[in-house]
Amino acid sequence: MKPSAMTDLSMHPAAKDALSRRSFLKRSGLAAAGTALPWALNLAAMGEAAAFNGGASASDYKALVCVFFYGGNDYANTVIPVDSASYAQYSAIRGGTNGIAIPLASITAAPTVLNPATPDIPVDLQGVQRQYGLHPSMTGMASLFNAGKAAVLLNVGPLVKPLTREHYNSSDRTSYPRPPQLFSHNDQQSVWQSSSAEGSKVGWGGKVGDLALPSNSKSLFTCMSVTGNAVFLSGNTALQYQVSSSGAIKIQAARNSAVFGNAALPGIINTLVSDTSRTHTLERDYNAVTRRAIGAEMDVTSALALSAFTAPATAFPGYPFPTDSLGKQFEMVARLIKGRDVLQAKRQVFMVSIGGFDLHDNLIAQHPALLKSVSDAISAFYKLLDDTDYTPAGGPTVKLSSQVTTFTASDFGRTLTSNGDGSDHGWGSHHFVVGGAVNGQKFYGTPPPLSDKDTKDSGGKYLPENQWHVGQGRLLPTTSVDQYAATLAKWFGVDDSEMATVVPNIANFNNVTLSWTGGSLLYPKYLGFMK
Amino acid sequence: MPDATGAVDTPIHVPSPIEPPCNAAGLGAAALAAAALAACGGGGGSSAPTEATPVIAGTRITLGTSGYTQLSPVTDALASRFLQQAQFSASEADIAAVRSLGYARWLETEIAKPSGMLGWDWLNAQGYGNVNNPANYYDSSTPGDHMVWNQLMAAPDAARKRMALALSEMLVVSLNGLDFSWRSHAMAHYWDTLNTHAFGNYRALLGAVTLNVAMGYYLNTRGNRREDTASGRQPDENYAREVMQLFTLGLTQLSPDGTPLAGSPDTYTAADVSNLARVFTGYDIDQTQNVPTAIAQTGGGTRTVPSSHYVRLPLKITTNKINNSATNHSTVDASFLGVSIAGSTDPAAALNTALDTLFQHPNTAPFVCKQLIQRLVTSNPSAAYVGRVAAKFVDNGAGVRGDLAHVYAAILLDDEARNPLNADPLQAPTFGHLREPMVRLVQWARTFGVTSAAGTWKVGDLSNPGTQLGQSPLRAPSVFNFFRPGYVPPATSLSAGQVAPEFQLVNESSVGGYLNYLMNSVIDRGITGSSDMKAAYTAELALAASNPPTALVARLNLLLCAGQMSTSTAATITTALGNMAGTVSNATSTATNLRNRVCAGVLMVMASADYLVQK
Repeated sequence: MKPSAMTDLSMHPAAKDALSRRSFLKRSGLAAAGTALPWALNLAAMGEAAAFNGGASASDYKALVCVFFYGGNDYANTVIPVDSASYAQYSAIRGGTNGIAIPLASITAAPTVLNPATPDIPVDLQGVQRQYGLHPSMTGMASLFNAGKAAVLLNVGPLVKPLTREHYNSSDRTSYPRPPQLFSHNDQQSVWQSSSAEGSKVGWGGKVGDLALPSNSKSLFTCMSVTGNAVFLSGNTALQYQVSSSGAIKIQAARNSAVFGNAALPGIINTLVSDTSRTHTLERDYNAVTRRAIGAEMDVTSALALSAFTAPATAFPGYPFPTDSLGKQFEMVARLIKGRDVLQAKRQVFMVSIGGFDLHDNLIAQHPALLKSVSDAISAFYKLLDDTDYTPAGGPTVKLSSQVTTFTASDFGRTLTSNGDGSDHGWGSHHFVVGGAVNGQKFYGTPPPLSDKDTKDSGGKYLPENQWHVGQGRLLPTTSVDQYAATLAKWFGVDDSEMATVVPNIANFNNVTLSWTGGSLLYPKYLGFMK
Repeated sequence: MPDATGAVDTPIHVPSPIEPPCNAAGLGAAALAAAALAACGGGGGSSAPTEATPVIAGTRITLGTSGYTQLSPVTDALASRFLQQAQFSASEADIAAVRSLGYARWLETEIAKPSGMLGWDWLNAQGYGNVNNPANYYDSSTPGDHMVWNQLMAAPDAARKRMALALSEMLVVSLNGLDFSWRSHAMAHYWDTLNTHAFGNYRALLGAVTLNVAMGYYLNTRGNRREDTASGRQPDENYAREVMQLFTLGLTQLSPDGTPLAGSPDTYTAADVSNLARVFTGYDIDQTQNVPTAIAQTGGGTRTVPSSHYVRLPLKITTNKINNSATNHSTVDASFLGVSIAGSTDPAAALNTALDTLFQHPNTAPFVCKQLIQRLVTSNPSAAYVGRVAAKFVDNGAGVRGDLAHVYAAILLDDEARNPLNADPLQAPTFGHLREPMVRLVQWARTFGVTSAAGTWKVGDLSNPGTQLGQSPLRAPSVFNFFRPGYVPPATSLSAGQVAPEFQLVNESSVGGYLNYLMNSVIDRGITGSSDMKAAYTAELALAASNPPTALVARLNLLLCAGQMSTSTAATITTALGNMAGTVSNATSTATNLRNRVCAGVLMVMASADYLVQK
């Protein structure tokens, strides 16, 4: 079925024309020339495709879905060490089950024990094998892992360069730079999404989108947020397009047949609120958003109107999306993907989010529902993509489960120590990658030791088990967000030659080895979790 | 930790679906859980204390005008512009008053005005303090919405309310995050506290906020216990971190004019946070005045609900009743920001030292003042403007630091705020800020004299960006407010280094949600969807019959846009309204037509960028 919106390529000239041309101009260095190029240039033929696998001629579809946990997730109660020696250390530091430790029996009973193949059992830097389970509320995620459809990244977080704890403590910040404003919510959200602190304008999801623009005839639908504004999806050229979990909002004053009884007003109001020629910067910026909203709404509504996808509550019978906000966001992503031909999109980056993770108090009471929501929503989303003929009539019959990859992110991890009934701000954390293209049932990265101690040896060096946290079990990451992002971006189609434009610090993790007295650690540019 | 006076043995109540569960899990000890239950809806309780609180007295100050070149507005439009920065709206009477008194005398008058009824008393007057009401208001945050909208739209001291609203966006507590008994009352007391000190002293405000119960729950000072080596427990760091990052210092060391020092050095370290956290240990709710009430539950049994007294009493230091051995306050020395507090120090003295240290820190004046300027006047104040206002924070002229009345006046009297917009052509294209959605609604209500016919002011949570405002007072999503002071919109035409905080709320959903809400509800049918809060538009209707309706558009321009509507927008709206049906032979049809004209005019003005960006 092809709704009429598909055939009208001039539906939102502002978005399409400006974006595509700006992309080309910017990247080809011609912007300064001011040449009025016709917008219909075949950008792919002009060299963009060389740096991106999946240009205008791509016949397949790919999407990345970022799930952001706002507030900083408690890593230690999400991916929990369950071998008896590790669990004992974990439990002791967290004050036991009268404190904030999760009972071991509840993990085995759930069941949420993770079962990698024997050669894939993770080993920490002291050669100790670790066995992990998920929080007992994450049965869906555990099933995905054990079925090979999900992987766990251990101790990933923002880094500028590989660091040991001694490096971290060094006053030589030139040789051993720290990410800006560690432990601060707003800044670490920004750093995860964009490699810089609050005020950053361009995120790595958006930069991936910049490269993918030629793949999408309607470029505005390249980077779509089903949550609020976030820097992650803003590129140098690609814009974040925001859609609510019930669809695009129709601006009735500009689109109804009449306003307050007058049929001329909608057109007049449309012109008024879309006027981007204002001299005041903020007025121009505001109207630019409104103009985009009006232009795109018709396309999005057409895409969502595909048969059997009209009513969100029953859009996907048999696929138990949670009825909470995250579930509804995921359901909207699924509907948008279903309507991708209407949106003329072949490469898309989505963002959804869930808040409430800043559990300084009530960790035991409130964390389970959050993790259950994440696990259930991702599971329902995966099941839908995997089970259904998910392609509109006329297209190839393919499952999209291998073309859509979902991954998690959060401000930071938290302390391993307890503050009584919660934990405080940390740094590194564990994360999930889900999809048919994931080399699943495996762990990536390095298991962190279970320590909250600061003790050193006689030579003044931290004892090995105290090396990978910076106090109270705030993990010092052994995998950088740049490596994580690069691995996802490469799968999505970003060429190796462009990777430094997407994640600026990746050059510092280009298969380099960090060595210290008694050990070393390799930082691979690509982590291998994507097929 | 908590003082377990008043044995409690009732079960935790079943939370309503929209409220997070109240819980006391993880506390680890029966006595501790018991006291937490009390706060959570175990505990005792009769109805709320009904004794009225004295209103907030006005503050009498004398403002000097030296250094200012614009002392009095020379046009109605400039008076309206000043009023829309200083409060929410500009009535014809307000405009006349400012033109007659001049800026400084008008400010003195407003600062000296006593408040009307406090939020706390309003809740009780509306019956929300009745513990026996079957609606279980003690479990609901909705009365808190009604309370704050009423305060913003109807209170006589609009200037104080404007300042308090600005403070509520820096010292954030959100109704969304409160899940204990009498949460609306707790929020009302927090709001009243902001108002009490809005024209008082920032140090006193900081002290009151720190031990306020709503803040205590929101940032976890309530129930925060000292380190315990046996269990490995550490003090909760949340308040220690955020009081520095968000309420006083910020992250980067600043010059007195708010510009970062060379190299942007950090203001504090992780160790400073961990050390300061010890000062905030040992506090819990004060239940000494508690009068519990047993409420019969559906399906049998009773639930013991505490009286609302505890949400109005400051947090207090508690001792560990289990072994009766020691205070819950840390006994470890705390060293932060160059100050050391011995572990043996009395908790109250330690708290005073800590808050004095933050208050006296060189960052606090520019950090606080810049954000207040951003809320009231412009997103990108010059460093000189920040510096002048911060200097008033440092010394009000009589040697007093932190005098917020003088800070408020300095923000509004400053030439950068007062010069006509085009006086500095370099500033003109970016000066000002996006009006916050909640301020737009308050402005609409006050401008058109909208009141609640039933006296109930049932305006609720308007946070949904797709169908409402995408913002509601005292409903920030987190302690980081609705938006960050450093937010830069993507794809902006602002130049490097400039910010537009309020744009964090602007996206393809919220721009439409706002306009639809205006058109479908607010402007014609009224805010609450019924006719209870509907605008009469009496003065506007009197101008609507003329064609072209130039006078109507001029009035809307003056009152809503402070005369900042562009000539072309005014022409567009005037022509469009003139082409709508007007006076006809049938009186009923004429009334409908003229009301449609007025409603369309208000909609078009409030949709225009001319209005949305307050300059």
